[in-house]
Amino acid sequence: MRYLKEVFSARELLANLTLREIRGKYKRTIFGQLWSLANPLALMLIYTFVFAFIFRVRPDKGDPSGLDVFALWLLCGLLPWTFFANVVNMGLASLVTNSGLIQKVYFTRIVLPLSMVASAAYNWIFEMGVLIIALIIVGAWVLPWIPLVILIMLLLAIFAAGVALMLSIANVYFRDTQYFLTIILQLWMYLTPIIYPSSLVVAQSARVGGLFGTSITVSDIYHLNPMQHFVEVFRNLLYDNRFPDLGEWLVCTGWAVGSIVIGTIVFRRNERNLAETL
Amino acid sequence: MTEIAVQVDHVSKSFRLYHERNQSLKSAIMRGRTSVHEDFWALDDVTFDVPTGSTFGLIGSNGSGKSTLLKCLAKIYFPNKGEITPFGRIAAMLEVGSGFHTELSGRENIFLNGSILGMTKKEVTSKFDEIVEFSGVEQFIDQPVKNYSSGMYVRLGFAIAINVDPDILVVDEVLAVGDAEFQEKCLQKFRDFRTAGKTVILVSHDMGSISTMCDQAAWLRNGQLVVAGPADSTIKAYTDSFSTGSGDPATSGDTEG
Repeated sequence: MRYLKEVFSARELLANLTLREIRGKYKRTIFGQLWSLANPLALMLIYTFVFAFIFRVRPDKGDPSGLDVFALWLLCGLLPWTFFANVVNMGLASLVTNSGLIQKVYFTRIVLPLSMVASAAYNWIFEMGVLIIALIIVGAWVLPWIPLVILIMLLLAIFAAGVALMLSIANVYFRDTQYFLTIILQLWMYLTPIIYPSSLVVAQSARVGGLFGTSITVSDIYHLNPMQHFVEVFRNLLYDNRFPDLGEWLVCTGWAVGSIVIGTIVFRRNERNLAETL
Repeated sequence: MTEIAVQVDHVSKSFRLYHERNQSLKSAIMRGRTSVHEDFWALDDVTFDVPTGSTFGLIGSNGSGKSTLLKCLAKIYFPNKGEITPFGRIAAMLEVGSGFHTELSGRENIFLNGSILGMTKKEVTSKFDEIVEFSGVEQFIDQPVKNYSSGMYVRLGFAIAINVDPDILVVDEVLAVGDAEFQEKCLQKFRDFRTAGKTVILVSHDMGSISTMCDQAAWLRNGQLVVAGPADSTIKAYTDSFSTGSGDPATSGDTEG
């Protein structure tokens, strides 16, 4: 509890560090903030070309929205994923890149990874805003779902923050973590139904049946991935325009709470040794 | 005895001297351990009090533990044993301008750096003019700090730090910044500090500045406290130790006495 108070009292510092990140990022660029849209747009184009045009991946029509636009369907999963990946990548590096500061000034260290979460969230909100406008233009009935979209965004941000806290500490002790993470994130992305619908996995899993004579199916293992549940909720709200299964909400909340609790405990335990270890 | 500003109570701090350090996962697993090390006691059972309103100097040769003690005071390191109890708000100036973002303007950096040093936005706003005036970079305050000369950079950093207005100020040899005029300004600021009844703890190798500025001093050798007390006698004991060759250089160890 006392720790939470300490973090709360550092909120101004958190805001300032976030501003430093946001303002510093696109300084001296002509397009400025628009650059944050460039990466998802490029990914959207290439994935749409490869998976919708060449491989002919056909996700189900939005139910009940009736939407049938692969690019938008893709973005509903891709934007949450890129946010998650950005938070984890930036959060992981936050302690090592600010080692000079940590060794010279005392402040609540946790604001360093958290400011990365906040600055990534800033870009993400911008991207999601553009996506929602695009969805409205093609006729999706998104507006009533926006409060729930904000709620799931919050849950994903908390989940990502917890992971970033753990990994930022791990990276201080083992610099391998950053290289390891690049690979993990790549695998993780393909294990998440971003560029294909998870119904394909379920169908294929039913065909294969239980693995190695047990009743565990591929789909059971597949559903252990927390990001799969997050993406499902995002798609339900944004693309299908319906209320996601209550079970999905519970799973997402569980992962978010578990991740932030463990992340904070790990961070707190190691916080004092940072200046020496870095 | 007057009131105490900081109580340093049997403080010990050890560092690990690594003979083998496996900072990559592969080597940690292959060797089955993350490190082989022995402990080096940078501070060994140091006890003294810093009286309120004094200017307290820490002296000693290189590697005697002054900077480690300073970092413990600044809460950057945490002692293995013992405790440091400050009575009042403590601010440390171990490096000026840490946390500056070079692409941002001087103005933005004042707010950023101020909050890193623990000031609220209100405090920074109210002291903004004072900071700018003290640093003498009025003209360039809206320029990115990467275009500042090194002197301007340091002066701005110093001006922010000195305006944190703590009860106890911890300073590491940063006095040697800026030109003579700026140094005089800094000294004046320290004097103001003292007349305001605040405590300054500083480390310096310059015995001249220690003896003019400090009224109290502590002498550290190989992590141990040799003597703490009035500045004059402590400095004299320290400088005398050179001539008798009993205390320094650090390699001579504990041959004294």
